[in-house]
Amino acid sequence: MIETTIMLLLAVPLLFSFLFLGLGKSMYKILAWAFFIFGVFASVQLIRDGVGVYVITGSEFAMFENIVLVLEVLVVLFIIGVAAKYKNWPTLVLGLISAAVFAYTFTNVPAVESASFNIDQFSQVMILIVNIVGTAIILFATGYMDEYEEHRHLNRQRTFYFTMSFFLASMNGLVMVDTLGWLFLFWELTTLCSFVLISYNMDKEGIDNGFRALALNLVGGIALSVGIILLATNYDISTLSGIGTYAGTDAAAMAAVALPVALLCIGGFAKSAQMPFQSWLLGAMVAPTPVSALLHSSTMVNAGVFLVVKLVPAFAGTGLGTAIAVYGGFTFVMCSALALSQRNAKRVLAYSTIANLGLIIASAGIGTPLAVAAAIMLILFHAISKALLFLCTGEIEHTIESRDIEDMPGLIKKAPLLSTLAALGMVSMLLPPFGVLLTKWVSMEAASENPIVIIFLILGSALTTVYYAKWLGTIMSSTMDKNEVHHKKPETYFSLSFLGLSIVVTSILVFQIYDYFVRPQVEILLNAAPNVSGQAGIIASEIGEFAYAAIFAVIALAIILYLATKSMFTPRKADYYMCGENNMERDKLMFRNGLCSYDKSNVSNIYLQNTFGESKLTTIGYAISIILIVITLAGGVL
Amino acid sequence: MDMNSVLTVVLVLIGAPIIGCLASGIDRRITARLQGRVGPPILQPYYDVRKLLSKDNMIVNESQNFYVVVYLIFIILSLLMLVFKADILMIVFVYTVASIALIVGGMSTGSPFARVGSSREIMAILSYEPVLLLYALAIYLLTGTFKLSAVLDASTPVLMYTPLIFIAMLVVLNIKLKKSPFDYSTSHHAHQELVKGMLTEYSGPGFAIIEIAHFYEYVFLTGLIFLFWAANPLIGALIAIVAYLLVIVIDNITARVYWQWMLKLSWTFLLAISIVNIAFLYFSGVKIV
Repeated sequence: MIETTIMLLLAVPLLFSFLFLGLGKSMYKILAWAFFIFGVFASVQLIRDGVGVYVITGSEFAMFENIVLVLEVLVVLFIIGVAAKYKNWPTLVLGLISAAVFAYTFTNVPAVESASFNIDQFSQVMILIVNIVGTAIILFATGYMDEYEEHRHLNRQRTFYFTMSFFLASMNGLVMVDTLGWLFLFWELTTLCSFVLISYNMDKEGIDNGFRALALNLVGGIALSVGIILLATNYDISTLSGIGTYAGTDAAAMAAVALPVALLCIGGFAKSAQMPFQSWLLGAMVAPTPVSALLHSSTMVNAGVFLVVKLVPAFAGTGLGTAIAVYGGFTFVMCSALALSQRNAKRVLAYSTIANLGLIIASAGIGTPLAVAAAIMLILFHAISKALLFLCTGEIEHTIESRDIEDMPGLIKKAPLLSTLAALGMVSMLLPPFGVLLTKWVSMEAASENPIVIIFLILGSALTTVYYAKWLGTIMSSTMDKNEVHHKKPETYFSLSFLGLSIVVTSILVFQIYDYFVRPQVEILLNAAPNVSGQAGIIASEIGEFAYAAIFAVIALAIILYLATKSMFTPRKADYYMCGENNMERDKLMFRNGLCSYDKSNVSNIYLQNTFGESKLTTIGYAISIILIVITLAGGVL
Repeated sequence: MDMNSVLTVVLVLIGAPIIGCLASGIDRRITARLQGRVGPPILQPYYDVRKLLSKDNMIVNESQNFYVVVYLIFIILSLLMLVFKADILMIVFVYTVASIALIVGGMSTGSPFARVGSSREIMAILSYEPVLLLYALAIYLLTGTFKLSAVLDASTPVLMYTPLIFIAMLVVLNIKLKKSPFDYSTSHHAHQELVKGMLTEYSGPGFAIIEIAHFYEYVFLTGLIFLFWAANPLIGALIAIVAYLLVIVIDNITARVYWQWMLKLSWTFLLAISIVNIAFLYFSGVKIV
């Protein structure tokens, strides 16, 4: 019943978006719960249906094709209209170019007779991410948005929930569809949704950043559509899987399709906010936190890496592949360095997202079975951890009224559960035995044949450890000020705990996930499975092994040992040391200074602004990344 | 797990702290002699730990000792992984867990001294982590696998082809043992302005656990140096001991530098020589197995 599930996954989120539009605020919580439950069941159902292709032909196809065409025209018209209304000329120009490209496609490119949905294991993983993590984020939003709007005197929740649900519907289409023309529609729809959501606040900052996202993604969209046109006119390829089939035959065929494939990849880079397109994702954080969480983890940016990984058969082992790997590795190290210099928690997370997507792209570019497996796994693990971290940041912002890391000391006392969940999210991003580190380890081992990429990955990995350790230490530090904040809504804390639990469960089941989803997918993409075995909780490849179960056992041991010894040494509490006499008066938190008045001690983290600051690195990053993209394109032409 | 590995685990669990304790005692003796003092008995670190364990458990908050337990357990785990010839890249990552646990433990107390110390220790991670990972990469390039069993089976020592990385690793040893000129996060000796830095709020049993973990850490870190000449265990051990003594001497003849200086040293000189060494390994394609 795979076609029913596919249609449900497209239609039901759409239905929910209109329900959100039609029903009142009082119904949102119930709707969000229902949507979440639907998401869990539908995505599990898709996996139970197994893999398969669903082809639409005949009159049914004609009907859908017309709908697609009408929607594409509407999307372009909307973009041109909104750009003209706000007098945003770059976007208007890009919108007009898109319209011209679309008109060219419509008149000159041979029409297709059928369309198909291709459900492989990778699509299943993506559907899981979109429909479970995505709906959990919407559920979180129902406990978050009221307060958000109250602060800003807004009343646009109708638009908000409509667009969020519509976003999930488009994403579902994007990851399931195989026909390139339809894929392009879903691609542009996600661009449009992100524009609406980023400019949600409707102030100048929001609208400017929305247009930046729109413009940069239109650039990517134009690259994508030119690639699609080239594929259709020169090679008669109209499906995503068709590219792999065509290129999979021999090296000459790979070289032939290299240019359109490179163009498709550039579309993916823009969507995944890789350098030099990163500014749209950084600007996107002006939107409410659930929007950032959705963009960063389960939808938008994943579409880009999804496309790049799907294209692996067309560039694995070629010069184009190496260029992509170096490009991804460069973004990884550059954005990790930039993240180090940031004290705004959302900016740290944004750079971390871009860096991790760079790592995924680097792994895809390396193109060995092991590396591609790492790329797919990283998409999954990163999505869960990043969704949790973003939602935690939003909740922290509501708890302490700030998203500055320097304002977060003492958070563990103010909101213990929230801090613990945020800490889990951070630890899962950088330490074993959690999934993200495990996959980073796999991609590093897979990259070790390419000197430039592996050195990028090593430097980026060290930088990642540093910027997360800093933040982790800050939220866990308990100051002597005592002021617990009670701020618990069931919807927000359910979503947070659910995501936290998912991190632990997926990390424990890492080998099962690999075995069920990733290995068959890599076989489809590369006709070769990674040489990885997993017995007794050890993942082993031909060049390394990782006893993740042992580490989980050790963590459990640490907890047990701590609890057991805790009562053995009866603790006596004391205030922390502030240099004795200096501090006997007042609240024992102050230092007496030379003028006999009191100063509060103030310690901050080290951000190395002068070395890794945005003003120092962004220009270099732009220059080198543009050069690398040109090299990628040149690799496609030559 | 067969009988042999169980025995090895027990041996490591008991043997490593004894060796580490003696090494620490020797450190204090040598340091004392270099400063013109007689110095404490070799077993002084042991007496210290025994005394600390009998003291009151004074804490600032409930969670601070949890991080210390994590620190201890992950140091032991990385040492065991080293002994069982596991994946060197993974050992580095597991070891990072221990380092971060101690940092977060320091920060969790909230004391300004501890937070400054921890911030500096984070900068130390930034300095040594890339070198450690490059060392792991060098081992891969020489043996074709990240598993350490290949290094121990090889007939040619790793050091033959990695002299530059060896130099970088000596500095890493210096940083990780928190010896002068890199002793600014916390230090064993009473020469720093940050009270006891990262560990300011630790006393009694919690501090005893940190000391015990340090004993294991001494063995682990010198174990990493040992790998440079694992082909002949005797020479390997000798190199490790000499490296350790060298660090003690450096500790006594240098003054502390700014942490910025360490970062510059690491990200320019150490990384450069390590990358040159790696480039040589790539282009020569030399293998030791």
